[in-house]
Amino acid sequence: MDLFTIVFYFLAIITLGAGAVVVFSRNIIHAAFALLFAFFGVAGLYVLLMADFIAITQLMIYVGGILVLVLFGVMLTSQVLDVQMKSGTIQTFPAVLVVSALAGTLVGIFWSTPWKTTAAAPMEVTAAKIGEMLLTSYLLPFEIASVVLLAALIGAALIARREKNA
Amino acid sequence: MVEQLLQSLSRFLPETTLTVALCSTVVVSLFLGRKSQATLFVALAGLVLATWFSFDQMGVSETIFSGMVAVDPFSVFFKLLVGLSAILILLFSLYSSEVQSTLHRAGEYSALILAMALGMFLMAGASNLLMMVLAIELTSLSSYILAGYTREASDSSEASLKYIIYGAVSTGVMLYGISILYGLTGATDFYGINRALTEESVNSVALLVSIIMILVGFGYKISAVPFHFWTPDVYEGAPITITAFLSVASKAAGFALMMRFFKVSFIDANAVGLPTGVWTSLQGFEWNKIVAILSVLTMTLGNLVAVWQNNLKRLLAYSSIAHAGYMLMGVVVLSDKGLAAVLIYFMVYLFMNLGAFYVVMLVANKTGSEDIDSYKGLGHRSPLVSVAMVIFFISLAGLPPTAGFIGKLFLFAALLDATWIWLAVVGALNSVVSLYYYVRVVRNMFLRDPEGNAEPILFSTPQLAIVMLLLLPTLFFGLFYSPMVELANASVMMFGIR
Repeated sequence: MDLFTIVFYFLAIITLGAGAVVVFSRNIIHAAFALLFAFFGVAGLYVLLMADFIAITQLMIYVGGILVLVLFGVMLTSQVLDVQMKSGTIQTFPAVLVVSALAGTLVGIFWSTPWKTTAAAPMEVTAAKIGEMLLTSYLLPFEIASVVLLAALIGAALIARREKNA
Repeated sequence: MVEQLLQSLSRFLPETTLTVALCSTVVVSLFLGRKSQATLFVALAGLVLATWFSFDQMGVSETIFSGMVAVDPFSVFFKLLVGLSAILILLFSLYSSEVQSTLHRAGEYSALILAMALGMFLMAGASNLLMMVLAIELTSLSSYILAGYTREASDSSEASLKYIIYGAVSTGVMLYGISILYGLTGATDFYGINRALTEESVNSVALLVSIIMILVGFGYKISAVPFHFWTPDVYEGAPITITAFLSVASKAAGFALMMRFFKVSFIDANAVGLPTGVWTSLQGFEWNKIVAILSVLTMTLGNLVAVWQNNLKRLLAYSSIAHAGYMLMGVVVLSDKGLAAVLIYFMVYLFMNLGAFYVVMLVANKTGSEDIDSYKGLGHRSPLVSVAMVIFFISLAGLPPTAGFIGKLFLFAALLDATWIWLAVVGALNSVVSLYYYVRVVRNMFLRDPEGNAEPILFSTPQLAIVMLLLLPTLFFGLFYSPMVELANASVMMFGIR
């Protein structure tokens, strides 16, 4: 086992373990903090793949922006500590059956498929390249993403606004 | 590169127009203030222009923005369909009490309808997985919000919430499938996927799993069984204008995207050009069998459950699920004929389904109810609108001499041509079942006496004019269908294949 593999499994375990806590924890604050570690783990995987720009973006936007916002939202919501998370398990047996069949298939696929891979490229700074691509080949998705955000903003305003004359 | 982008931009005029109109509605609602219909008219103007510009693109066949979006007869057809239905929906909105009573939010309403139309225009043309997901997300996000537009009604909020949860899950599953497909082929554009699959064989189980996962996303958009659970609640809770829009345009865009994805990515490109118009699947991968199963489940469940519905909106929701099932039959046969039949069916479906929803809206405006009991004796209280409703229902059931019959005829002809006999039989049996629940409403309208209030219901002239606008094509295309068939045959052509 070389260093790369060890680091990979280390990061993968952090990500998956934290993800499991997010899903299974009954305390919303614990879940939010576990999400922090999951995001860090993913950022680490990006670094391992030499995607420097994506890794930094992941840290800044998900950890720095979204997660902090989630935590603020959770803490500013009154009676957050009394929130009873309504999550129960029903239909355990069929669920176990379906989930294990699905998981088995997926693991089998990932194990046996010859994936299309490219040789590892030498380390280089990707930010300039990504910027150029965003304004040439990927111009349209880049612009449409902004329209998606505009629609989301308008929608958020519509849902959140207090009505004076209603 | 710059020239190429500018060139692409000139082919992107319909979408650009919609975006400009979207921004204009925001500005107009800011300055003209609340309580004004102005934004609805701005949106209407933008949509008319965008539809006109799409019409101008007829005959063009190329991909723009580095292969992100295809402008070809197939996408132009669906852009016209979406544009036309969006225009009709805005006309409906001018007379919908749900929209008119919340005019202070009309700015957001118009803006989101435009955003939704833009998303559907992009879905009609998307030829890259990235663009595909973005277009679906734009359409879905806007429709989540519009489904919960009447915030005062709790079932509207419930509809919105159910919609967004199902939507998020199905998009997630679809993205997982896309990641597997990308891992197998190393390409995100449909043509690249086709090349990769032509050149070397891939793990068939992995391909199957990824396609099923991607089908979850498509199935959700076209509300195919078993991904339909959101449909009745959302259709019932959303304002009727939005329900009608979802049932026609959203479904059309979903079908357009699905058919392009499958035909471009998984069909042997060398076999497509043959004059027989019959396609062969790459690597012997029979994805159409999966679609056939979906089709049978969708139409059977839709029709059988519709029989028990007493709310007209829910009834039409299940009927629209069933219609998605019929149209899926056209995708199963893997031929140009089947594809053309789906296009014909959509043209017909646009008029008859919007017509049925419009009548439900008019009646709900006056009686305040969508319950089947409130239709008792409607034939005596408002003969003209009731007769129109009967014709829309006859057409939906697929009986001559309406356009609905022509739609079904071409679908079944394509099926029999490709010797999918058992599927055609299931489809025909389903049509019989559907006749039952349509006739149930008709019986209430004409053979039952009105309960309580038997005053005649009067509608204004423009309201009746819109009914006529939808009724006349439903009858006309039932008798003179050749223009429709020619348009469909010309529109099956997608860029790059044939």
